[in-house]
Amino acid sequence: ELLVQSLVQCISSVLAATCVRKRELLQELFSELCTCLAPPPSSGKPAPLSEELKLAVIQALHTLMHSAYGDVVLSLYQPSTLPLLGFAVSLLLGLAEKEKAKQIKISALECLQVLVLQCDCQEHRHLDEEEAQQCGDLFASFLPGISITLSRVITGDIKQGHKTTVSAIRLFYLIVGWVMSDAQLARIPKSKEKPPLEQSRVSELMVHRGPDWSKSTAQKLSLLLHKVVESSSVHPHWKVRLELVELVHHLLSNCSQSLVDSFSHLLKALVGLVNDENSEVQSRCNEVLRGIAEQRIVVQNRALADVLSENLHSLATALPRLMNSQDDTGKVSTLSLLLGYLKLLGPKINIVLNSVSHLQRLSKALVQVLELDVTDVKIVEERRWGPPGSWQQGVQRGRHQKKYFRFFTEEKVFQLLQQVCRVLGYYGNLYLLVDHFMGLYSESGLYRKQAAMVLNELVMGAAGLGVDVLQGREVPPSVDDLKGSVTSILDEYTDQANWYLITSIDTEEASPEHSVQRSGLTARPGGPCSTVLLPSPEPQVTTRSMNSNIWQICIQLEGVGCFAAVLGKEFRLLLLSALYPVLEKAGDRTLLISETALGTLADICEACSYDSVQCLINENSDYLVNGISLNLRQLAHQSHASQVLDTMLRHSDASLLPLVEDIIQDVLSALDQSYNNQASTFLRVLHSVMTALVQWFGACSAEEHQQRQTDKGQSRTQSQGQQEVTMTRQEVEQFFLDYVSQKQIAEGDVPDTGEEEADEVPPLAKAEPNNCDTDGEAPLPIHAQLARDVMERCIHLLSDGSLRVRLKVLDVLELCVTVLHPHGNHLLPMAHRVWPALVTRLISDDPLAVLRAFKVLCTLAQTCGDFLRQRFSKDVLPKLTSSLLSQAPASARAGPVYSHTLAFKLQLAVLQGLGSLCERLDMGESDLNKVADACLIYLSAKQPMKLQEAAQSVFLHLMQVDPDSTWLLLNEVCCPGPCQPPHASLRPVTLGGMGRP
Amino acid sequence: MALPPPDPQFVLRGTSAAIHTLHFSCGGQEPDLPVLFSGSENGLIHVWNLKTHRADTALDGHGRKSVYCVETMGGKDRLLSQGRDQRICLWDLAEGRTSVTDSVCTEHVGFCRCSLVQLAQGRWLMATAAKGLQEVQVLELPSKTSVCTLKPEVGAKLGMPMCLKLWQLSCGSQPLLLAGYEDGSVILWNVTMGKALSQLICHQEPVMSLDFDSERTKGISGSSEKVLCIWSLNEQQNLQVYKTHELVNAGISDITIRPDKKILATAGWDHRIRIFGWKKLKPLAVLDYHTAAVHCVSFSEHRNPRERLLAAGSRDQRISLWSLYTQS
Repeated sequence: ELLVQSLVQCISSVLAATCVRKRELLQELFSELCTCLAPPPSSGKPAPLSEELKLAVIQALHTLMHSAYGDVVLSLYQPSTLPLLGFAVSLLLGLAEKEKAKQIKISALECLQVLVLQCDCQEHRHLDEEEAQQCGDLFASFLPGISITLSRVITGDIKQGHKTTVSAIRLFYLIVGWVMSDAQLARIPKSKEKPPLEQSRVSELMVHRGPDWSKSTAQKLSLLLHKVVESSSVHPHWKVRLELVELVHHLLSNCSQSLVDSFSHLLKALVGLVNDENSEVQSRCNEVLRGIAEQRIVVQNRALADVLSENLHSLATALPRLMNSQDDTGKVSTLSLLLGYLKLLGPKINIVLNSVSHLQRLSKALVQVLELDVTDVKIVEERRWGPPGSWQQGVQRGRHQKKYFRFFTEEKVFQLLQQVCRVLGYYGNLYLLVDHFMGLYSESGLYRKQAAMVLNELVMGAAGLGVDVLQGREVPPSVDDLKGSVTSILDEYTDQANWYLITSIDTEEASPEHSVQRSGLTARPGGPCSTVLLPSPEPQVTTRSMNSNIWQICIQLEGVGCFAAVLGKEFRLLLLSALYPVLEKAGDRTLLISETALGTLADICEACSYDSVQCLINENSDYLVNGISLNLRQLAHQSHASQVLDTMLRHSDASLLPLVEDIIQDVLSALDQSYNNQASTFLRVLHSVMTALVQWFGACSAEEHQQRQTDKGQSRTQSQGQQEVTMTRQEVEQFFLDYVSQKQIAEGDVPDTGEEEADEVPPLAKAEPNNCDTDGEAPLPIHAQLARDVMERCIHLLSDGSLRVRLKVLDVLELCVTVLHPHGNHLLPMAHRVWPALVTRLISDDPLAVLRAFKVLCTLAQTCGDFLRQRFSKDVLPKLTSSLLSQAPASARAGPVYSHTLAFKLQLAVLQGLGSLCERLDMGESDLNKVADACLIYLSAKQPMKLQEAAQSVFLHLMQVDPDSTWLLLNEVCCPGPCQPPHASLRPVTLGGMGRP
Repeated sequence: MALPPPDPQFVLRGTSAAIHTLHFSCGGQEPDLPVLFSGSENGLIHVWNLKTHRADTALDGHGRKSVYCVETMGGKDRLLSQGRDQRICLWDLAEGRTSVTDSVCTEHVGFCRCSLVQLAQGRWLMATAAKGLQEVQVLELPSKTSVCTLKPEVGAKLGMPMCLKLWQLSCGSQPLLLAGYEDGSVILWNVTMGKALSQLICHQEPVMSLDFDSERTKGISGSSEKVLCIWSLNEQQNLQVYKTHELVNAGISDITIRPDKKILATAGWDHRIRIFGWKKLKPLAVLDYHTAAVHCVSFSEHRNPRERLLAAGSRDQRISLWSLYTQS
């Protein structure tokens, strides 16, 4: 045996160096070598030879094939040599399958590859078509054996190593690809040629590759391929999977007609491998897919498209079940399969979509898979409090709200679904799709959110945004088409029944929304009978349904953002109808909704190329104003309209005043018609209007005001400083001189030079005559007119039954006063009219209201001091002082908790304000005494610290007005040290407080 | 249950003055944008783009004096406007130009809107109140040649003409003029002969507005009283009162019959727009939106009936647009 082995090795090295030119020699050598490996004829077992020998023989065969000269090799592939060739093939297959040694297996497979003229090396002569055809006929008879054995090798034990599997796969697809090649099969004549007689025995072995044969072979191959694909697509080694990709590629490009039946498996494998963990496999896979798409194999091949659409159909049917049962990786692969089908179908998608059952399956599957998880209570509970502080922040968060789905948590899964929808939109007939999903949207509340989500993505896809495809479309949809679809979707989204949903059970806002919801329900098709029979039972509002409603609104808002992105600047036209609803939601109390709406606003800004949200609102305020004005006409929408106005005001500037003025007139007239129920809503608007006005126009007057304040402050500190420093003689002298001159004036002896007094007259009095002149002629500026109009309404509302309303009114009133501040001529009459109502608030109302009213009073006092003096001392002061006096014992006794009570706050506010009030109003002596008396008790150490401090401030203010009497009064109470007369000629003074602790 | 009163489709704001006249130009082909012209008290004519609902341009040609009549001559590029500065201006608006090409001085101090009728391609006949107290002047445009001056008989106390309507029975036939006067009478004039054909006293107060349907040879007039009056013209060219309709509130400032002659709209001093069926004067709707007297109503002539609009301009400085088709 060793001898044989070395002989064989010798032959192979000789062959490697020479080349065989004679056919006979080749055939002889070939058959000799084959017999070396031949098993004993009786037993079915392989020849009991050593592995080394086998290897040597195989290698010798390999070299032999290589050393044979071009034409000579072909002589082996004549029908007459078929038995010999078959013998060799079966031998080698046997080795490849049964042997244990990897080396042998691999060599056997390689040798086979050479034998079927598919060697990897480049030395071989290229066969022309005729020859290829002949060889194909020849190999056809081996095909069953080869394919079955190879498939067994491929699906065999993993331990055999990936190389074996790889080469088996390669051999498999090479031979199948050759024999089943479309090009060759097309040239096969219908009927079998009559073979020459002498070859009849051999020719029985020959196969005629007619249509029948190819059909049955394809069926059998399909089974094998299925097995092969199944085992190797999950093969742990990436090279195997890579080879599988090659297999698919080769077969798809060579046998796209003959092997149609197997394509479902092949494509499934290919598409599934797109998301392989190995990047090389991935990229090759993508390359192949792109190649397929580019060659338009699918587009031109109806049968293939049918196979794909069938696959799609069955996958769509199974999708919900799979999504329910698989784990996340499973879901990812299932969905990438779906995506791959769609991408491969490309423009042919429309064939699928035109079939009702296909479309329905697919849409139902998507809708079911996308079902949201609506159990989270937090979403309903999270509220937006107060005005949105920083928009930027909200915008950042609002862009992409994370959704929670019932069937998956992985973000990747959602992205895949997104892509699926976008690819659909990219290739599919947009009108058809939009129409279908709109149908689903309105069909049932169950589907509405998902359908909206799909619609959003469809439109994105149709515009080619964020979609990853293999091949371009023939005709992208025109802007008009897109706009048409977007407009219809937008109309549906912002329809009352779909836009105003119950998202909270706030008592304040719920009532009008309920009515809207109900009317919306009746408008819905499908439920007319139920709504007619049952007169709208109170809809059962559960957390779940509210959560669902919130999500629906959010998805619709996101949709608006998508549409803006799709249409770009064209969307500006649609702002007419879209901006108002979005802003409405930006003011929503539910955090999620308002954040999403802000995100949408940012999207719109970007798409329509506005610099900022502020810009967007400013430049489209005319649209907004229109919406507001129309909505104000309907009771149910008034609160929304006021929200929008609120938002608009917060983001606009003085340039909008004419429009704002227009709309405020509407608000006021709406308010006039419904004082009772809507007052609080409108007050909120009025409040924001006045805040805006103060912001826009208050600046100048406030500055002026500030200056006056600081002036006063400075003089105060000066005078305080003077008091602290012991008086110098000159000052005393000056004081007396002043006193004398004052006294003279008081007696009617007016000096000629009035300059000194002029300085003392408060600046306001100086400014007022000027104001009178100008105001008398020029009409009041618009903002002041507005303030006056608003103030007028406030007068009526000051005595509203609800405390909340009254408090709000007082706030608004204060702002009105601030705005009207520079226009004394108009403020004073208004103040006159407000006074009675205000006094009632101050004297007999809830402490909270008193507190606010007192603040208003302080503001009012800044402007119209003289005007108020009389009224204040007559109407309000007695009550204030008496309440201070009566409360004092209570607060003196109280514990630390007292500082949280309303009574305390009231005391504190009054004490804090009273001093400056007295100073502003320039109160008379008797009133000052009253104030001082009332406040004196609060200086007691028994009183809470804060009250003491406040009381001190009162006295500090009193000192400004009347230093002497205050000094005297205080010293009557307590005088820490004896008074040293500054000069011996003066008598010492005794005070009541002397000597007291 | 009666339907709630409809809302306007849109409200145009921003003229910052009372609106006195409106005129649509929407009949153009697709790339041509539908526009609405509005003349306001501050002498500006706004050109509203009905796609964006914004004023594209504001034309200033009447020296800040109130504009009370705007008409187009043919397309939307040729515009005629009449103002309180006693001038009628002809505008060229093609290709973004905004220039006055010609003007006619009427020396009329009233509010009587002029009336236009097209005689032939590029030839127009215009009737306008003239300098003389009771006179109406008829001019040919654009040549500005005077055709005739219509004076009532000596001694007739008609007062000033208040409203005019030039019309032709069919194209090419003799143009006729209907004029409403201060004393409440309506006179039918033969323009070519300069002769009054018929006179009908149908109101006690000045006739504020009238419109005429030449197919049915019936017309309607409104005055400052509470009555709408429909009159018909018989074959002998005699005006007869056909029907009167009592209104709730007095004062009609404008009446327009829709181009398809099915309905008509009135602009009321009571802030309301009223819609009637033209055939029987059946009240169809009361459109309540404005907060001051409505000065003018106008129907658009969109090709697509669904897009057709009604516009109303009011003293409250707003123009409301109503879609009457979708409401039904």
